[in-house]
Amino acid sequence: MKFKLTLGVPILVVVVAGALAWSACKSSQEPTQGSGVTQVTDPADAIDQKLMVALSQAKNFHHKAKVYMSDGNTAAAIASVREILSLRFPDKAPEADDVRNDARALLARLLIGQGQLDEAMNVVNEGLASGRESFFVANLYTVQGEIHQARADALSEATDPAAKAKLVEERHAAIESFDKSNQIDKKLQDQLMESR
Amino acid sequence: MAPDNNDDFLTGTVPEPDAEPTAAERAHARTFADLIDKTLSGHTPPAMSTDDRTLLEVATVIRAATGNALLGTAKQRSIVEDALRQAVGGAGSTSSGSVVPITRGRARRWAPWAVAATSTLVAAAVLILWVRTPPRVVTHTVPAAQNLPETWKSRPADALIGPITKEHAGDASARIDTIFADRLDGYRELRLRGRKP
Repeated sequence: MKFKLTLGVPILVVVVAGALAWSACKSSQEPTQGSGVTQVTDPADAIDQKLMVALSQAKNFHHKAKVYMSDGNTAAAIASVREILSLRFPDKAPEADDVRNDARALLARLLIGQGQLDEAMNVVNEGLASGRESFFVANLYTVQGEIHQARADALSEATDPAAKAKLVEERHAAIESFDKSNQIDKKLQDQLMESR
Repeated sequence: MAPDNNDDFLTGTVPEPDAEPTAAERAHARTFADLIDKTLSGHTPPAMSTDDRTLLEVATVIRAATGNALLGTAKQRSIVEDALRQAVGGAGSTSSGSVVPITRGRARRWAPWAVAATSTLVAAAVLILWVRTPPRVVTHTVPAAQNLPETWKSRPADALIGPITKEHAGDASARIDTIFADRLDGYRELRLRGRKP
């Protein structure tokens, strides 16, 4: 008798509790059927955390490079600016190209200061291959012109006819680069004026 | 004729009942009395003669048979304290199973009911959790989300930075500061949209 009571009471309670819970859930779901919870998804081009992290890191590397430059430690400054080029930005984020091209321009100028003109030209050309025209690309063309100008200056005292021909070539290339820079600047400024 | 060996009590000649005990018998009796005293007090000598051991066993049996064997004071106190400790709910210090605490007896009586009640509660909780489904999350891509304000979007920094003049070409750190601050504003607005300040 006692055993039956001990076993019967829990079964009864479980059945009652289950029925109550089921009916409660049914009644609570009925008014909300079909409504659900709406979550607004952000489009792919929305600013996200990944972009902010990358920008923050780029900012810090720039400041670090600035400190090194003020200390005269150009090698360390170059290393710090190179770090910006390896940062991971979100795919297709336009800021990525802009930030990297600005870093390339600074890096190329530091390399020019170190006399590494060929390496500086490589860095600039990498940026110019990115495609989209921007003020940062225009700046890269300006740096490219500076590199051609530096090469021409290095050949200015040469007496060799081949070197003289190379000097003229470099000067022309410098002018072309500066012109290209101005051209992009003007085009973008016109576009901005039209959009406002 | 066999020699009269008075030292062998078990196999030697039995003296007359009224005969006066010899000095050797007295000495042996005193020694044996000491041996019994030591045995009763728990200090049995490690070595003794075979005769003495036999006599000692007989004396121990006789003493136990008379019913006067008492536990030592320390042992008695230990058992009493153990029983009292179990009676008030504490764990006994000895492994003796002879004393069953009152609380254990009550617990045995209530154990089935306690198990039944606990299992009932657990079963009810599991059932409620199983039956209750989480709120449905339907993700709608709201068309308005595609038309985010420009400041919330990732975009070229040209409009923000403008043309980079030769004088300011080296101010790359200032430019990245500007870009970062602008995008951070947009990111915060985007994250906090729809929330009351």
